[in-house]
Parts: sequence; C-alpha cells; structure tokens
Amino acid sequence: MPEEKVSLKIDGKVYECDADSTILEACAKAAIDIPTLCYLKGINQEAACSICLVEVKGAKTLLRSCVTSIKEGMEIFTNTPRVRNARRLNLELLLAGHPKDCLVCDRNQSCELRKLAFDMGIREVRFPKTTKIELPLDTTSVSLSRDPNKCILCGRCVAVCSAVQTVKAIDFSGRGKSSKVTTFFDSGLANSVCVNCGQCLLVCPTGAISERNATKQVWNVLSDPKKIVVVEVAPAVRAAIGEEFGMPVGSLATAKLAEGLRRLGFAKVFDTQFSADLTIMEEAHELIQRIKNKGRLPMITSCSPGWIKFAEHFFPEILENISSCKSPQQMFGAIAKTYYARKYNLDPRNIVVVSIMPCTAKKFEAMRPEMKGAFDYWKEELGLKKDEVFYDVDYVLTTREASRMIKEAGINFANLAGEDFDEPLGISTGAAVIFGATGGVMEAALRTAYEVLTGRQLEKLDFMELRGLNGIKVAEVEIDGMKLKVAVANSLSKARVLLEEVEQGKSPYAFIEIMTCPGGCLGGAGQPIPTNNEIRLKRMEAIYREDKNKPIRKSHENPAVQALYKEFLGAPLGELSHHLLHTHYKKREGAL
Amino acid sequence: MIIKSSEDLKLIKEKGLAKLLPKRPRIGIGMGTCGIGNGAQELFEAFKVALAKRKIPALLTKVGCFGFCAQEPLVNITLSGKPLVILNSVLPKDVDSIVKDLAGNNINSKRALCKIETWDHLTGEIYYGKGFEQIPAWDKITFFKWQKKIVLRDCGLINPEDIEEYIAVGGYQSLLTVLRDLKPEAVIAEVKKSKLRGRGGAGFPTGIKWELMRKENSAEKYIICNADEGDPGAYMNRNESESDPHMLLEGMIIGAYAMGASSGIIYVRAEYPLAVERIRKAITDARKFGLLGDNIFNSGFSFNLQLVEGAGAFVCGEETALISSLEGCSGRPHPRPPFPAQKGYLNKPTNINNVETWSNIPVIIAKGADWFTQTGTQNSSGTKVFSLVGKIKNTGLVELPLGASLQTLIYNIGAGSGTNKKIKAVQSGGPSGGCIPAALFNTPIDYETLASLGAIMGSGGMVVMDDDNCMVDVARYFTEFTSSESCGKCTPCREGLIQSLNILNNITKGRAVEKDIQDLQNLGAVIKDTALCGLGQTGPNPVLTTLKYFMHEYEEHIKEQRCDGGVCADLFVSPCENSCPLHMNIPGFLELFKEGRLTDAFECIIRDNPFPSSSGRICHFHCKMRCRREDIDYPVSQGEIHRYIADQIYKGAKDVKIIEGLVKERLAKTGKKISIIGAGPCGLTAAFYLSRLGHDVVIYEANPEPGGILRYGIPEYRLPKAVLRKEIAFVQKMGVKILCNKKINGDDLDRKIKGSDAVFLATGAYKSMGLGIPGEGLKGVLSGTAFLKDVAVGREPLIGKKVVVVGAGNVAVDAARTALRFGSEVTIVYRREKTDMPANKDEIKGAESEGVKFIFLANPKSIRGDSHGSLKGLIVTRMILGDYDLSGRRKPVATDEVFEIPCDTVILAVGEKVDAEFIKRCGILINHDGTVKADRFDLKTSLDKVYAGGDLVLGPATAVEAMSDGKKAARVIDLVLSAEDRFAKLFHKFNYKSRIPLEPKVSSKLDTEKLEIEKRRNNFKEVCLGLSLKQARAEANRCLRCDLKEGN
Repeated sequence: MPEEKVSLKIDGKVYECDADSTILEACAKAAIDIPTLCYLKGINQEAACSICLVEVKGAKTLLRSCVTSIKEGMEIFTNTPRVRNARRLNLELLLAGHPKDCLVCDRNQSCELRKLAFDMGIREVRFPKTTKIELPLDTTSVSLSRDPNKCILCGRCVAVCSAVQTVKAIDFSGRGKSSKVTTFFDSGLANSVCVNCGQCLLVCPTGAISERNATKQVWNVLSDPKKIVVVEVAPAVRAAIGEEFGMPVGSLATAKLAEGLRRLGFAKVFDTQFSADLTIMEEAHELIQRIKNKGRLPMITSCSPGWIKFAEHFFPEILENISSCKSPQQMFGAIAKTYYARKYNLDPRNIVVVSIMPCTAKKFEAMRPEMKGAFDYWKEELGLKKDEVFYDVDYVLTTREASRMIKEAGINFANLAGEDFDEPLGISTGAAVIFGATGGVMEAALRTAYEVLTGRQLEKLDFMELRGLNGIKVAEVEIDGMKLKVAVANSLSKARVLLEEVEQGKSPYAFIEIMTCPGGCLGGAGQPIPTNNEIRLKRMEAIYREDKNKPIRKSHENPAVQALYKEFLGAPLGELSHHLLHTHYKKREGAL
Repeated sequence: MIIKSSEDLKLIKEKGLAKLLPKRPRIGIGMGTCGIGNGAQELFEAFKVALAKRKIPALLTKVGCFGFCAQEPLVNITLSGKPLVILNSVLPKDVDSIVKDLAGNNINSKRALCKIETWDHLTGEIYYGKGFEQIPAWDKITFFKWQKKIVLRDCGLINPEDIEEYIAVGGYQSLLTVLRDLKPEAVIAEVKKSKLRGRGGAGFPTGIKWELMRKENSAEKYIICNADEGDPGAYMNRNESESDPHMLLEGMIIGAYAMGASSGIIYVRAEYPLAVERIRKAITDARKFGLLGDNIFNSGFSFNLQLVEGAGAFVCGEETALISSLEGCSGRPHPRPPFPAQKGYLNKPTNINNVETWSNIPVIIAKGADWFTQTGTQNSSGTKVFSLVGKIKNTGLVELPLGASLQTLIYNIGAGSGTNKKIKAVQSGGPSGGCIPAALFNTPIDYETLASLGAIMGSGGMVVMDDDNCMVDVARYFTEFTSSESCGKCTPCREGLIQSLNILNNITKGRAVEKDIQDLQNLGAVIKDTALCGLGQTGPNPVLTTLKYFMHEYEEHIKEQRCDGGVCADLFVSPCENSCPLHMNIPGFLELFKEGRLTDAFECIIRDNPFPSSSGRICHFHCKMRCRREDIDYPVSQGEIHRYIADQIYKGAKDVKIIEGLVKERLAKTGKKISIIGAGPCGLTAAFYLSRLGHDVVIYEANPEPGGILRYGIPEYRLPKAVLRKEIAFVQKMGVKILCNKKINGDDLDRKIKGSDAVFLATGAYKSMGLGIPGEGLKGVLSGTAFLKDVAVGREPLIGKKVVVVGAGNVAVDAARTALRFGSEVTIVYRREKTDMPANKDEIKGAESEGVKFIFLANPKSIRGDSHGSLKGLIVTRMILGDYDLSGRRKPVATDEVFEIPCDTVILAVGEKVDAEFIKRCGILINHDGTVKADRFDLKTSLDKVYAGGDLVLGPATAVEAMSDGKKAARVIDLVLSAEDRFAKLFHKFNYKSRIPLEPKVSSKLDTEKLEIEKRRNNFKEVCLGLSLKQARAEANRCLRCDLKEGN
C-alpha cells in the first residue's frame, strides 16, 4: 500500500511528503537541513534545545520542527529574519553558559555546538556567563568522565540511558539555573547503576561526557625501555578508525592499523581477534557442555562488559545463565602474560598489554579485581607479593584515543601501505572479526558448535537471519536433529525483553547473544563520532567483508589457537582455561 | 447514610438548614487560612469561653472566608428571624461585649460591617430575616457593591467542613439532576453553551475541552483538578477549596460523568495544609454519603477521587508538567500534541481544569447556561475571582463579572491607594502576567483585552503598585521568580530568563548600558516566541510590559543611574537624597550639623543647592515624601534645617569666607561662552555651576530683577526678597553676568546661538491659562500670575473688596493670601475636593487660618457683570463626586444646581503655560502643549548647541524641580564642551560620623514658630519664622541615617 502523502509548501515551494513526517523530516526531503542539538529520532524528541525553529503560517509562535507533524496545506518558512533571530539567540544563550575552551576540548573536531555556532555565523556572544557556579567534574568512573559545565541540557544522554539502555543512571535534577544532569544523589557514575556503555557520550553534542583518557599513560610505557608493550586491537576498531583520518565510512583499515601501531612503538602488534577465536573455543564448548549436562540454559554471551554490569545490577537472579568465559580482551591479556611470556621467556612483570577497543566499558572491565589471571598464575613461581599485583590488561584505549596517538605521532594513517599483525597472537579467522557486529558472536559460536557437535563440515557459514541492525533477532539451528533456538539482542532495552523472559523461566532459547550497544561493538562508545545507524550499517558491511575474505572462517581452525591448546592449555574448559579464561559475576545494588 | 434519591437528599437538606437557621443564635467565625492568620482561632476560643461563661446556648461554628481580607477576622452572627450580621476586625477583647449583647438578643450595630437579609446561593436561597436598620446591606458597602458572587456563593456563610450545610444551600442537587435526567452529551452541551472558559488563566473554552475528552475512546480516563496555585499574590483557589470544598467536588463529579471518567485527582500544593485537610474531609464525607464511589445516586455511575499533594513548583500549573509530577517524575512539561485529552496521566485520556472552573459547574447546571451568559461579556461569560493585593486599601478576594474595568476593581472596590502615594500600575496574572499602567485602568478585564495589553488573566492575581515601586525592580523581582521556577528544560526559558535577570540586575545596580534594553527586548520576544510551555511563553511579560509602559524608568536607571521609586539601593545615598530633585546630601549635612560643624554643614549644602535659605522656605519638600522616619512618626523636616543652617550662617556673616572659597575653587577658564535665557531658579542654578566650571556665563532676563518666579511669583511673606537677593548674589560672585531688562526675541536668540558655545533656555511657564467661560473679558478678572507680579513689583493691585480665586495650586493660594493682605474678603473656588488640591498642604492650612474661605465642588460656569461692565459675581455649577478617573481621583460630575458667588474680582489661577513663540521662530521644535521639545536626559533641543530646561520643558513644576534641571544642564553642557565629566569636581566629600540611631523614640510633632495671625494683616511680613536651635537639633537627631548601608 502506498504511503499517504500530503502536499505542503516549504519556503514557497510545493512538496509532497509522507503524511507521518515531522517538519524536520519534510524539510530534509526538500534539501533543507534544519539545525538541531537535542533531537534524536525516536529517542529524544523532547524539544528542549529550541534551535530547530520554523515559522508556520497561522501559528502564534515559532514551532519546533522536530516534534511538529506536517499537515496538508501547511506553509513553512525556514529562513525568515524571525526564525534566524530566534535560532541565533537561543544558540547564543547556550553558548553564553558554555565554556569557551574549544581549543583544548576533547570534542574540538566533533562538537555539534561548535560546528553549529560556526555555521550560524555567530562570531560573538552578547551575553556573559551567568553566575552559574562551576560544577565539579564527575571523575568517579574509570570509564567515563562528566563535565556538567559543558552540558547544554539537551537531554540526549538522559534519553539514551533511559530509553535505549533502560539503565537510568542519569537524569535531570534541579530547576532553572540549577538544572543539571546528574546521578542519583549526585554520587557520581561509579556509584550508580551506570554500566559504562558510554552511549551517552556518543550522543552528547558537546564535550560534556568523555572517556577517561589513557593516552598519557600509554605514551609513558611506550618510552620505558624496560617494558615490552604489546597491543591488541578489537575487531570493530578496524572497521571504523579510518573515519578519524578522513577515509570513507566503511573502510577497512586492518593492515594500516597494524602498521600504524607498530610505528607508534608497540613491541608487538597483536589482535583481539586471536582471543576472540579462543573465546569461541571455550564458549562453544561451554554451550555444548551445558546442553549435554542439562546445565542452566539459555546460556548468554559474556563478551560485552556493559551488559555484564547491567546483569549484575538488574538481573542478579540470572547471573548463572551468563557464560563464564572472559571476554576476548581479557583472554588476550591472560594469554599474553602467561603463554606468550613463557614461550618467549619474558618476565610477565615487564609485559604491558594495551588494548584498543571500540568501547568505554572495557576500561572498567580491565580493572575488575578478578581480572588478574596471569598474576595468580605466576604468583607462586615468581614469588610475587601483593603489592606487585598486575592486571591482565594494563591500559585500554578507545578507537578515538588510538587515532589521537597516531595523529600525535605524525603518522599519515590513510596513506600507510599496511602490514600484518605479529605472530602468534595476531592470527585470527573470519569468525573472530564478526564479533564486532551484533549477532557475530552467535554466528561464530554456531559455526564451531555445529562442527564440534556433529563432526561434520558446516556448509553454509553465513547466518543471515542473525545479521543487521534489528534489536532482537532470532534463529533456529538444527544440529543433529536437535533444534536449537537462539536469540541475539543489541542495546540493553532489547536485552531486557529477552532477559525478563529468562527471569520468568519463559525463555525459549538455548543461547542468547547480548551486545550492550546498538549495532554491537561497531557502535560502541569508543568509536568515532558521529555514530549513527547509517554509519553503523557501513561499518557492519566492512566487518562481513573482512570475514568473507579471510582464508579461515571458523575459530577452531585457527592454527595459532590450536597451537595454544596443544602447547599450553590442553583442551577447552580444561584446568588452565578455568583459571585463565573463565570468570564469575557478582550481584550489585540495583536501581531504586 | 447513603443518599440514593431526591428524598434522601431532602432529608439531609432539612438537617443542614436547621444548622444554618437555628432557633438559637449562630456565630460563624471566618476561618480560612487568612482569618486564622489574623487570629480567628483565638477568637473562636474566646467565643467558646464567653458563651459558656454566660451560658448562652449559641451555635458556634467555623465558616469559610467572605473575602474582605483587610477587615479580617470576620464574624457573622444570626439571631433567629433577623438578618445575618457580619462584624469586622473582631478582636478577642471585643468578644465579651458581643456575647453580652447576644444575651439580650441584640447586636451592636456599630461593630457591624454589613448585614444580609436574603442570600442567593444560586443553588438555593436562604432568607435570614429583616431588621437592624442602622446596618448597611452587604451590597451597599463599596467593597461588595460591584461584586457578583457565583463561585464564592457559599464562601464565608456555610461551614466548609459540614457536608450537610452544603446540601442545605442546594448542594449536590445539580449532581442529582445530571445523573437522573441528563445524558453526558447534554451536560457538555450546557457547559459549551455557558461559554465558560478555563479560569486557570489561559481561557480555553471548557465545554470544548470536555468534548475532546468525551470523544476519546478509552476504558480508563482521568480528570484532574489543578489546585497548584503558585503565583505570588494569588490565593483564590486556596480560599475556594478551604471555604467550599464540596462545590469543587460536585463540579468534578459532574464533569467526570460528562466526560466518562471514573477516576479523579485533586492536585493541591502541599503549602496549603488547610485546603488539603478540608478537601480530604470533603472527600471522606462525600464517600460516606454515597456521592463518591460506586453507583452514585443509584444511577450506575461510579467515580472515585483522590487528593495528591504537589511539592510546590510553579511550573506544575502547566498541564503536562502537572501530569509528570503526578506520575512521580520531575515536573517538566512535554511538547503538545499529544494533548492530555489524548495521552495524559499514565498515557490515558486526561482532563485538567482549575479549581475555579470546576466550581462554576454546579451553578451552570442549577441555573442554566442562559442565566450564566447574562454575566460577563460576549466572549468571556461569568465572573472571575481576583485577589487584590499590594498597595491598595481594601485588600481581599473580589469576584467580578468579566468585562468589569480595572478602575472598578482598584479604585471602587479597592478604594485606591493604601499608602499616601499614587497608584502607578497593577500586575495582572502573577509573575507571568504584565504590568498595566494606571493610565489604562479603564481597560475591561477579559482574556483578550488583557492579552492585548501584554498581560494575562492568569489565575487572577492583581498586585497593585504605587509610586514607591520601581518598575525595573518589579520586572526584576518577577523575572527572578520565573527564572528560578523555570523547569530548566528548554533553552529560551532556562537561559533566556537568567540572562534577562542578569541584565535587570545590572540595571538596578547602575551597571547597565543602553544596548541592554535592546537585548532585553530581543530576549523577551524570543522567549515568548520559542519557549516550550506556558511558563516560558509568558515569563517575559513583566519585562516586556514594563519596557512598554515604563521605558522612562529604565532609561533613568541606565542614563542617570537614578531610581525614582527609591527602591534600587545601589543608585542612591538615601531615600531623601534620592527624592530631592537637587540630590542634596541630606544625611551628610544633618550629621555635620549634629556634630556642631555649622560651616561645614553650610558648605555641604551650598555645593548641592545655591539657594538653601530661599528653597528651604518654599520647597515642596520632596525629601519628606520618602523619609523612612515616617514609619515611626513623621518625616524629618530636612528642608527647614538647611534653611536654619543658612540663616544662621548669614546672620553671622560666615558665608563670605565659604563663598570666597568657592570662587577660588573655580576651574580654569575654558573660554567657552554660554548664554542663558531667563534668570529664574533654573537659569540661575545652571549659571552657578557652569561658571564654577570655568565657563563665561551671561544670563539674559526680561524683568528688571533676576529671580523669576521666586522674585515675581512667590509673595514676600513666604520668601523675603532680601533673602533671595543675597543668594542670587552668590551666583554673581561666581562670575555670572546677569543682564536684566533684556527681553530676548527670535532674532536675538539667533544671534546668541551664533555667538555662543551653548545656549540654555530657561524662561519658565508664566502665562496664565483662562477658563474659556463667558465673562472672562470683564474688568476685574485677573490672572493669578499677573496679580502676584503686580504686587511683587510694588504696583497697587486692581482688586476689589470681594475676591474669588479660581484654582487649587500654589499660585491660587498665594494669590488668595496676598489679596487677603490687601484687606479683601477672599474665597477659593475649586471643582474638586480639598484633598485633591495640589498646593502645599502648609500653605492651604495657612490660608484657612488667615480667613480665606473655600468653596469646593464648584465649577465656574460664567462670570457675571452688570450693564456697566462691572463684575458682580462668579456663577458656578455644583459638582458631585462621580467615579474614579484615571488619575485615581473621583471625577467631579456636574449637577443641575447652579449658584452665584457674589464678588467684584475674579482671579484665575487654574494653571500656567509656556510662551515659546520666540523659540519656535528659531526653528526649535515645540511640543503640542507649547513646551519646548528637549531630551529628558541631556536637555538637548532639536537645534545644535541649544539646551532647554525647567518649566519651559516640564510645564509648570516646582521651583526646586526647575533648579534640578539647571543643575543637570550645567553637567551635560560642560560634558559636551569639555568632552570630560568634570561635574564631580565641584563637590566635596566631607568626613562625618556614621552613627545609626538604634532605638529611635517616637517624637512629638514639630511645631515651627509662625507669625501670629493678627500680625499678618495688611502686611507682607514673613509668616514662617523657621526652627529654633533646639528644634533644628531635635529634628537633625531624628534622622535614621538611611545612607549607612550594611557593611559600611
């Protein structure tokens, strides 16, 4: 059935538009970009910023194009003195209260407020900063820091946190000039139910929320001759980092990344995809074991640390459903400081593992007290004391932080010829790269589980029904006559739907993949800004392209992983795996 | 019991009536929050004790508030078969005698405010009885006369905590009618037909709102009563809920039936504990009687109601914010659509109406829409309850038909200013309303008209302001309120109001620049145009309306750093300094005088005012008008003290040295030539300062002597010529050349302009105005100014034995007292009342004591002469006082009565005007009224180099106001000529003590020595002999030192 159309006039020209459009959408169709600062389609349509104003014939006041539906015969004016004056004044008002430290702001290149001010020709701000007192920064979290002084109260972060993630760690408090976005009782993100997903950061139009910057520490260790600094790079990073260097969205920068990081001075450039394959080995076996032993089902994936904390806060009753496998980042750290150290006779105390992640929650994950498998492994042998404790992963950089270091080093990233990752921890399969997209872990696990369970070759490797941006995707796989129902969720609001079923014992699935961020890791909060659905899709295409082009596409066929088991771990779920590659979860205080 | 039928209802009604009209006396104490605040609780106890003591079996009960706040506590007493009598301002000490009277079945009529014989509750009528002839009927006294009580129909008469009394006056009958006889659609049709509009302020048609809700198809619907009244100054919803909660309930139940809602919520602000308590009780009682709950009146209709206390946010008056608040979220509004009728509370269709809107419903059903629309205007039917507060005599809750004028509300009902200052404006609609100036008080009060003035109806708050209010400060105050009550969601409201407030703060602190006004205007317009909700969209109204109507006050603050209202404390030293047109450092010279430093005191004075002795005799004493001492006893006689100091200095010839000092201090010669036209107080003052600044100053004067009105207008008995001459000589000593007998014509002026660096025009307003009545040409008809001038130059005046002076200003009184001194019999005729006379109060008193007669309320009609052309009498029309006019005075209205005042001389002193013909000829622009067009701040005329000031620009004003213009002229002319602000160099900072009298005692009235009446006949000896040393000291000691601010 064709969409209903209405006819309206925009700036004197007649257009036919879909009847259910807003003025903003209708104008976009007419090639008129109306500026917005708070609007996020379907997520934040609270009309707070008051920038997207248009004049509509017959209306008493200017209207907000983001929330006003179009009507037959409407006459819209987007560029009258009244409109320009009002938009400018409101923007100036926001600028008046906003710090002017753009030169040293994290978001200098991606600040919507700065760009809008420039585009709207604002070259001076008439109004002084009002008596608003300097608000303290929230640096309680190891993942994110919040600067309320840079906040323009657009509400996007609040809306994302509440509507997309259903976490509600932050909300507005106070009235008038005391209005601010804050956590419950101002206690700071670390003391709230915040899961560190950073989706708030990703949608923030200014620099009010940013990741806790670790580049300085990484530069420091890189220049320390005693240290062997190795780096691991998450799958989703390669599909996005090019954007930071002006490459088209959807460019794959795998080889450039390896070369660039090597040029930065890392002793070895490894790949989290190696440990992703390892994760699949462990996880697929865990699934098989649970199925065979009638263990707790559905089993739920554990590689997304935002979701883990979410479960610990909101679904403590189902923690046992979560796979005990550590995430690839953590498995990598543990292996690098045990297997790799032993193999090359290195002192694990001198190995520094830096990971480059599309994610802010990974910073939190790396600092979880239980993430010291290597330390425990060596404790006895090396006689390590308590104060010599080291974590499996030392520093976590986001895609953006990594690109900043590359820029700082003067590396012309886009023009690099490209190199390979180092062996052995740089070797990976197509199953690992798709970890970066929602549904990827499930697909990779199924590829392995199928073959392990049946001993037969899987003919069709691509599970198309598990791909794409839909919030919840389900599939039914037949393995040896056994019908296995699986589900995939991305974003926590969608995860919540599946989890409530699990909680009530009504879940029909055997295996569930949950990714905290919309789109999966490729849409993580460590990725280049902007990140939106259009961009997510292009990054996703790149990831599946990489999978397709990989000579090996199943984790259990990764020769380096096979060697690891042979030389060091023995078998999946074995004793050493248990110590180094598996973890546990704890109940945390939930929301009120 | 559960009421199921009209018989059941009737039974309860009987029970209630027995309480309202008992066989024994009934005493109702007005116990709304307002009454209790004024001591009604104590009063109730006192009655209880007194009744027990005298063993009177009276029924003592609470009632609500009858609305007359200024007269609280109110007590109403019903003796069986007699009218209900309302006693006002009853104190516990009065109780015993009231009760004693009751024992004798009597009420002391002297205590009574008014009586009610029959009361129409609209849902029913109560006949109390006849009697008490001496007590005025309630609708005869001014506060109630213009009111129409529809919403307040029961308030103050029934016990709000007794459902039976509500039923007794016809309560719940409408509900019964509706449930028994009417379909929901029919109810809505009736409400639509009544044209009732939302009384919360926006004025949306209630019937249409109900219909939209009715059409929503949903199993669950909610109705909400908005009782979140948050405007400062508005308390009608509180009173309505406290005094008659069942009327609200009945309105809501009817509404619920009409709209198909089964649940309702009353959202009351928690700061209204009594309203909360009484509504709670009303809900409980209604439930007990089956009026809430399942199957009401056996109709099958069920409805439940609950009360929710709001935490008190102004923005929660906004529908969508209120709903958010009810849902447990922070009260932030949401964009509409969707409207609450589509998606409201818990996403269900929801209707929200204000307390007052709901309260109208039972009456509309009882009396019908046709009856309802008879009150009010075409588009705004019914009444509106206003809370009348601020600088008004009769504060209270007033219910007026819509369309009544502000004038009726403020002057008739409110009885005008509650202070001795003039009413300046009213703020309608609370903090998001607008300030309407007194000049527009003939405006009818309805939604559209108020909006067209930039104000809103709002919930009906009316805050009256007088001359002591600074309109910039008023705007600042309300903006502070709205900006702190902004929910903080949308940019224009949150940030825009803060920036507006910031600018307003700067203006009130003297830190603003002219551009700030444009910014304020732009901010206001954009906030109004772009804010998300009603709070934001109306938030700039106080700023925009004050900018519109009181721009001069903004300019004064910015350009002159002056706050005429005496509110913005950063802009003045003390209230007296602020209101003195010359801005004399009054606390300064008073303190110097107290310290015994007479010469310092004089020097301090003369630097500010070159005519301290002269002006001390004739000033209007603006300084006294805002003296804070008035709060304790009466203002300090500051002007009399500087006269005293100057006189003492002159007596001891101590002035010579001080004047020499000033001469020496004269700034280096600038070589700039300044011509001043007119040697009156304005020109002389300008010359004094300009010469001290080093300029060459020449004054051209048409008369033989300088002094202007001081010399030729004010009689010798008020201002001895010798004193004036002495002080004019100071000006000359400063190097000013005064050329007398030099009348300047147009050609002369052209030459002066060419030959000078600046010309200052200060020729005053001396031309007497006529009345334009027959007989003005007769011999024996004189102008007041001409008469006084004749006397002043020593000519024998052409007056007869019987003189009538027409007028009421100082010229009239001066002329009358002067004529009296020539032995004539003198009568002053004035068309208004004595209290309206603009002349100095002391002068009027003087005239009276000397024997001048007054005839008030008489308007000259013609002057009669005989056939020889001799004047025989003034024929006048008897006037009576009519309605208030826009000046806040009652307008004299002609009657048919005409009478003659026999006389042989008529002196017309009804005003003076400017003669600016010669100025006009030079191409300088003249105003419509003949005054010269000059900027109020820099005194520039339309012609380069030419400035003008004093009466020539202001029209007739006081001598000191003219001097003030002269002083201002000196500053601005020097600023232009020297391109530097050098004026401050002419002043000197004296060091004196900072002592604040901590426990000032009430002092007895100052009585300055006056020449005995008998000694005043046939001579012009000075009447007012000035202060004695003792008096001067005592007066100076009364100063409260308002110049000393915290931290000094």
